[in-house]
Amino acid sequence: MRREDQERALVEVTSRVVDGFVQAAQGRDGYLEGVLSDTLYHEGLRLEREDPSDPATKAYRELYGRVRRELGSASPSRQKQLLTEITRQYAEEVVGNFDDRVYRVATRALPHGLSILLKGASLRRVASMDILLRRGLEDHVQVEGEVEHVKALVDRGTLLVTPTHSSNLDSPVLGYAIYLMGVPPLTYGAGLNLFTNPVLSFFMGNLGAYKVDRRKQATLYKAVLKEYSTCALELGYHSLFFPGGTRARGGEVERKLKKGLLGTAVRAYTNNLQAGRAKPDIFVVPCTINYKLVLEAETLIRDHLAEVGKARFIITDDEFSKPRRILNFMSNLFSLDARITVRFGKPLDVFGNPVDGQGRSLDPSGRVVDPRGYVSRDGAPVRDDQRDQQYTNELAEAIGAAYGDENVVMSTNLVGYAVTALLQRANPGMDRYRLLRTGGALDSFPMSEVHAEVQRVLEALQGLPKPPALEPVLQAGDVPEIVNDALKHFAIYHSLNAAERRGDRLFHLDRNLLLFYGNRLRGYDLGRTLAADV
Amino acid sequence: MEKVTVIGAGSWGSTLADVLGNNGHEVLLWARSQERCEEINQRHSNERYLPGFTLSPNITATPDLERACAHSHWILMVVPSHGLRGCARALGDFVGGEHMIVHATKGIEQESFQRMSQVLREETCVRKIGVLSGPNLAREIMRRQPAGTLVASKYREVLERSQALLHSPYFRVYAGDDVIGAEVGGAFKNIVAVAAGVVDELGMGDNTRALLLTRGLNEMAHVGAAMGANVLTFGGLAGIGDLMCTCASPLSRNHQVGERLARGQSLEQIQAEMHMVAEGVKTTRSTFAYAGYKGLDLPIVRAVNAVIYQQRPVNEVIQDLMALPASRELVELSW
Repeated sequence: MRREDQERALVEVTSRVVDGFVQAAQGRDGYLEGVLSDTLYHEGLRLEREDPSDPATKAYRELYGRVRRELGSASPSRQKQLLTEITRQYAEEVVGNFDDRVYRVATRALPHGLSILLKGASLRRVASMDILLRRGLEDHVQVEGEVEHVKALVDRGTLLVTPTHSSNLDSPVLGYAIYLMGVPPLTYGAGLNLFTNPVLSFFMGNLGAYKVDRRKQATLYKAVLKEYSTCALELGYHSLFFPGGTRARGGEVERKLKKGLLGTAVRAYTNNLQAGRAKPDIFVVPCTINYKLVLEAETLIRDHLAEVGKARFIITDDEFSKPRRILNFMSNLFSLDARITVRFGKPLDVFGNPVDGQGRSLDPSGRVVDPRGYVSRDGAPVRDDQRDQQYTNELAEAIGAAYGDENVVMSTNLVGYAVTALLQRANPGMDRYRLLRTGGALDSFPMSEVHAEVQRVLEALQGLPKPPALEPVLQAGDVPEIVNDALKHFAIYHSLNAAERRGDRLFHLDRNLLLFYGNRLRGYDLGRTLAADV
Repeated sequence: MEKVTVIGAGSWGSTLADVLGNNGHEVLLWARSQERCEEINQRHSNERYLPGFTLSPNITATPDLERACAHSHWILMVVPSHGLRGCARALGDFVGGEHMIVHATKGIEQESFQRMSQVLREETCVRKIGVLSGPNLAREIMRRQPAGTLVASKYREVLERSQALLHSPYFRVYAGDDVIGAEVGGAFKNIVAVAAGVVDELGMGDNTRALLLTRGLNEMAHVGAAMGANVLTFGGLAGIGDLMCTCASPLSRNHQVGERLARGQSLEQIQAEMHMVAEGVKTTRSTFAYAGYKGLDLPIVRAVNAVIYQQRPVNEVIQDLMALPASRELVELSW
């Protein structure tokens, strides 16, 4: 964010967040005190686990200690002051972490930014990672879909790119895709753990990333983040959200999306109209990021299966935290010439309507719609939180549908799905965990059966009213070749091979991985007979 | 007082227009035919659909859809379920994001199994959509006998506006957010009404009818839950309320179909003699197919379907129903 915008955002975010809470407190005794107590409680828990000698930790301890001592006797107006003080602190942290220097450098030239960021890291490691990442991405990131359509909208409003999320590599990959397209960098709130690796940190910079401390669980902190992202949109910064929230643990294409951050789109649009801005439109761009192999597949699926609902929100000890593992992943993946495909869907307005190349909203029959009407009452834009929540639900639904349409199915997904379905059919009624752990009655299937099943699933996919996209090897339709391709990839990276051919049989070795890759096809109506419903 | 628009001048559309007119609102009522418009404007009557009643003088009728949409941002749409898609598509030329559409159409689109609000969403740019549904016989409301209904919408704005406009000393308007439940209730009860016609014609008593209605309600809840409704809605006006009302009324077309089926008439004969198809006949077919696809067990729907479409004798079908093993009465439904 440019410096003048940073200051503006700081003031706006602080006053809006405080005003929001003060307004909500109208007629509710004790509300502000409750908000402050919630903050002290969550922050207390967090600080217990922090290094007490860390300056930031010390400063927060001091601030919260003061608030705690005063809270009992504070008048409503004093409560508001205390709230403002903490809010301001959070806002400074979020806004201030935005590295303007990185942003500018990254915008201008990708390679030269590296030296700035990489000081301190060992030269050899940096060099090898640099080459791998940069060359690798250059050769292996494939950008497709509505690319021209998206580019046409860059100058007509503010873009909000909303991709699927399956790996921590998503943001660098998307950052690179955006760079290839010639679209300006995107503003993006990223978890602190993504900044630990210097090379990736560089790519984060290219995305215009700001740091989000997900350990801060207080409502107040989340309100600050939401308001900051609203402000960035209003100020015309093209942005990036992952509406799935976290990486899809089961490997699926997300169908249920988080509405919190997404809701800032309608809000920013309404604010733009009320402020009479020249280019008020916000264009939501759904896109899918598709991997033949997922870096963190093993950790994610283990976590997914650990127990539904008890999956960890933040994972820090995964493959991503091990630079060597990333290197390994990249070099193996690229040695097979596997592409990472970023596919853009049709841009939408904040109400979920498709938008044409000139930025005009269209109704389902293609008639032009004036989107201002949705937030207007008697012709003037009005804020209505309940209404906007519903609009956001509609938007989320449209994004979810686009994910289904723009998903690029890889050989690993198709084979994973088919083998999971075979497993299930061979072991009817068996508990899913037991099936995954033991593999059931048969340790292998004849290749002919596998081929037949792959063929059936492929045909079912192609027969859908709105089929997903297929990677080239699937388009070619040579089933034995598809299966070989998948097996080749399974063999090259994961610590335990997912499935392996021995003679004329296919052995399933890591069924969790088969499930993970196959889950990418879940959510399509492939009919009862083909369901792999583990 | 406000300007409001009503689309459709059948008996229910005209009745709701009358309620709005009696509340003092400036009602613009869209009717397809020029003659009906003239009749309403000059004589304040609609002899074909509401013979013997006088309509509120606050109602003006027009065949001009563009004018109707420009008149107000609040539109009440009351057209038959099979005509709703075409009408909505035409409406789509004239509505914008500020419009709200509340429909009062009971039925499910036949092949697609789409609910009416889904059709509206597909054919227009309007997001603020609601449904009005309940035990509402038009003639009773024209006589100003106390009645109640449900308006359901995800948008609170739609609920507040609709209640403010429609609520009257003889017409209570409740609000809810379960659009799916309200729509499923209004469509599904017609199937049970056909069955009620059968048991009434066969001279069966109150026990039988209560059994039918209660188990019918249970099936309604199963279909609703599968479609995403809140099952509690079926305990309200749009569920049990409408079911009781429809099944108790021998005048309802669905009930008459049931009576004729019990007398051994075939669907062709009934259609030829009644000149129009009762909603329940179509809804039975599509619900039967939906249940099969979703793997739902709906014995009453299956029975009605067998009588209508497979020419099974009613007595035999009833015997089959009574021979089914009785499982636990209530199972938990998730929604």
